[in-house]
Amino acid sequence: MFSTGFKYFIGVTVLSVVALVMSLFVLDQLAIAGVALSMLIGSTALLAGIAVVTRDGQTKTSSPELSKDLTTQSIWPLVTSVGVVLLALGLVISSLVFFSGVIVLLAALAEWMVKSWSERSSKDSGYNSSARKRLLNPIEFPVLAALGLGVVIYSFSRVMLAVDKSTGALLFIGLGSVVLIAGILFVLKPNMKRSVVVAICAFGAVGIFVAGIISASTGLREDLVIAKSESHEHPECGPERSKHFDKLAEGNLSLRSSVDATIELVDGKLSARIVGFNKPQNSVTIRRSTPTNLIFHNLDAKEYRLVANLGDLASTEPEGKTEKNLVCTQLTAQGAEQALVLKIDKPATVGTPYLLSVPGLEGQSIELVVP
Amino acid sequence: MNHSLRHSNLKSRVASVLLVVGKKYRTLFGVAMASTVAAGCAQNAPQDTWQPKGPNAKIIDDLQQPVFAVAGIIGLIVAVAIIYVIFKYKDRGQPIPEQTHGKPALEITLTIIPALILAVVAVFTFGAIFKLAKTDDTEMIINVTGQQWWWEYDYPVQNEFGINQPIISSGQLVMPVGTKVLLRETSRDVIHSYWIPALNGKRDAVPGRVQTLRLEADKPGLFAGQCTEFCGLSHANMRMEAIALSKADFAKWVANQQAAYVAPEKDSLAQQGEAVFLNQCVRCHQVNGLLRADGTPAIAAPDENVWSGAAPNLTHLMSRNTFAGATFDLLSKQCRDEVWNAPSSEIGEKYLAGVSENCLNQKDLRGWLRNAPAMKPMYANPTQLVATGGKYRGMPYLALSEDDISKLVAYLLTLK
Ligand code: HEC
Ligand SMILES: [Cu+2]
Repeated sequence: MFSTGFKYFIGVTVLSVVALVMSLFVLDQLAIAGVALSMLIGSTALLAGIAVVTRDGQTKTSSPELSKDLTTQSIWPLVTSVGVVLLALGLVISSLVFFSGVIVLLAALAEWMVKSWSERSSKDSGYNSSARKRLLNPIEFPVLAALGLGVVIYSFSRVMLAVDKSTGALLFIGLGSVVLIAGILFVLKPNMKRSVVVAICAFGAVGIFVAGIISASTGLREDLVIAKSESHEHPECGPERSKHFDKLAEGNLSLRSSVDATIELVDGKLSARIVGFNKPQNSVTIRRSTPTNLIFHNLDAKEYRLVANLGDLASTEPEGKTEKNLVCTQLTAQGAEQALVLKIDKPATVGTPYLLSVPGLEGQSIELVVP
Repeated sequence: MNHSLRHSNLKSRVASVLLVVGKKYRTLFGVAMASTVAAGCAQNAPQDTWQPKGPNAKIIDDLQQPVFAVAGIIGLIVAVAIIYVIFKYKDRGQPIPEQTHGKPALEITLTIIPALILAVVAVFTFGAIFKLAKTDDTEMIINVTGQQWWWEYDYPVQNEFGINQPIISSGQLVMPVGTKVLLRETSRDVIHSYWIPALNGKRDAVPGRVQTLRLEADKPGLFAGQCTEFCGLSHANMRMEAIALSKADFAKWVANQQAAYVAPEKDSLAQQGEAVFLNQCVRCHQVNGLLRADGTPAIAAPDENVWSGAAPNLTHLMSRNTFAGATFDLLSKQCRDEVWNAPSSEIGEKYLAGVSENCLNQKDLRGWLRNAPAMKPMYANPTQLVATGGKYRGMPYLALSEDDISKLVAYLLTLK
């Protein structure tokens, strides 16, 4: 009388009720688990109701018998177990392994499900396998192609990081031309044997892959190695040129950041355009302990940099020798912009306000107010 | 839309549904619908989205009313059709009817009609979005900063409003009535979202970004809201209120916020409280003008103690009516009701009175000082702060004696 679906859902409902009661005893308050279990109970009870009313959605015409000789060999149990192992290892080793386990598992389950569904969809095994293909090939091919391309592109990027800049450019042009020539060849000779086309492509891909492995093992080119080891110290903030670039801004800004205020230098005058204010201001409020993104926009003919003077650094030496706390942008050419990220933890002491100024340009400053 | 109107609308809808539903389900269905209707009629609903109290909320309301009607009618048609089909064509063992495929005329019509409806809705929606995004008519700016689990407000210098030194406050946003206020929102830790339903829609406060939200109130009043972006443990206790004051009252409020610090009287309980405050509280809480025993200004260092880098500025604590993310009242129940139930014209005066000793909600404030994390869930257990390098999220348990608490309360009462 009770359909299979009903039994399943009512079983889950009863189990969750038991779990809920137990969790109420174990945890003395209704935490997230309680909410989740209540929602599960509600939804499975509803599904059980639907299953009993619709008799599992069974009509008399469907449900062909599953016959043993229509099932073919399947690789998915194997892949599933690999996924489970990755999952378990990932819990110990790293979240990367864990998530690749999740992905492998999901993919295997989907493939397995569709395969077993297709094998019982008719008595004709040819039709069954075409049904499977029709459903899954549109997903499998792009995913496999993307994976393959990913490997090739990643390998090529390793090559580009290893060779020096001009060789890199030549290599890029060379490889591009080879791809173009191969493409032209394929177009001009549409009757070329399939195996030849496959061989050419495979040869190219494997070649790049091997080159990638070799390059990765030889390491980065010299200037990249130096750039990586360079100190993150801030450069001096005078009017002179420095070959370091502004790493503070680089570390704090992201694609999601937005500008709080733009400091403009026009005709020897500094002014602040602050988001929300309709008129230029001569002071900017910087909220305490909040990284605030400013842009220095130099419209003057000379090169300048913007410097934030944030009072004195707490001295670590007993004699109390104080050092100025300065943060600055790189020298900025006419029309160019530079970001300056300020995070100020304490308000200025009375009488010595925090100021934005431009070395080499006297009498111009913008107050930084920290409430 | 007022309640009675909504009521009658729903009633007629319920009636039409009842006509279709079979007899035996009628009572059940009736009960379900009646309780739904009843739920929509709460009397005390300060966060009701159907009661705009300012032009921005009105723009939204003018959009949502017709859209709600259109969506409601369509939803009803679909629901009725589905219920009808379920019962009419239930599998009773009848033969499967003849199967047909494709009816271009019908299919095209059924595609074009929804597309047209959506297009019309889209036109008005875009109109509303652009109106709400306007900033070139802004009259006043307030910086709003979200952190776990309270809002900070600071008012940049704006001489036209008498603000010639920055004002900083928390929990309750005070603004002048009939003024186009622009909030500049950001966050110090995770994403929060600012929402005062009576005055405008929501705007996320995102770390590293400044986003703007317009607010304008038609009449003096108190408007409740809460953080609407899940932000961790005490998200549900991250509330806020907007207080709209007449322009004259707002000027008084501004003047009071800028008033210089008055140290408590010599040898008073409050003076002892000030000493306890300097010992226990100043490492997180700023009180502008407060001096240490050696005469140097006491500068708080919340950046060294709190994960978000901030704790509420308490300089004028007793000028607000709530504390800890507007979750608790600083006013006793009776005094609070007097402010909230005052007619619009008297709200300003009642609000500006602040919190007097008689009106203070001793129980909650003392409870807070006794053990803040017990009143509001916060990550403040020093043994569990590995992830934040020992910094608290929220206010920790400070193991104060009842004596110290009494002194502190006396002191806090002077911070008007
Ligand atoms: C480790 C930092 C820290 C210390 C020390 C601390 N507090 Fe707090 N306090 C906070 C934080 C953070 C909040 C905001 C909590 C919230 O609302 O979620 C807060 C909130 C408050 C509030 C509510 C303010 C408002 O406007 O909402 C009061 C009042 C208060 N604290 C008083 C005190 C007193 C008095 C002391 C000293 C005994 C003290 N605090 C010590 C961090 C601290
Ligand atoms: Cu929040």
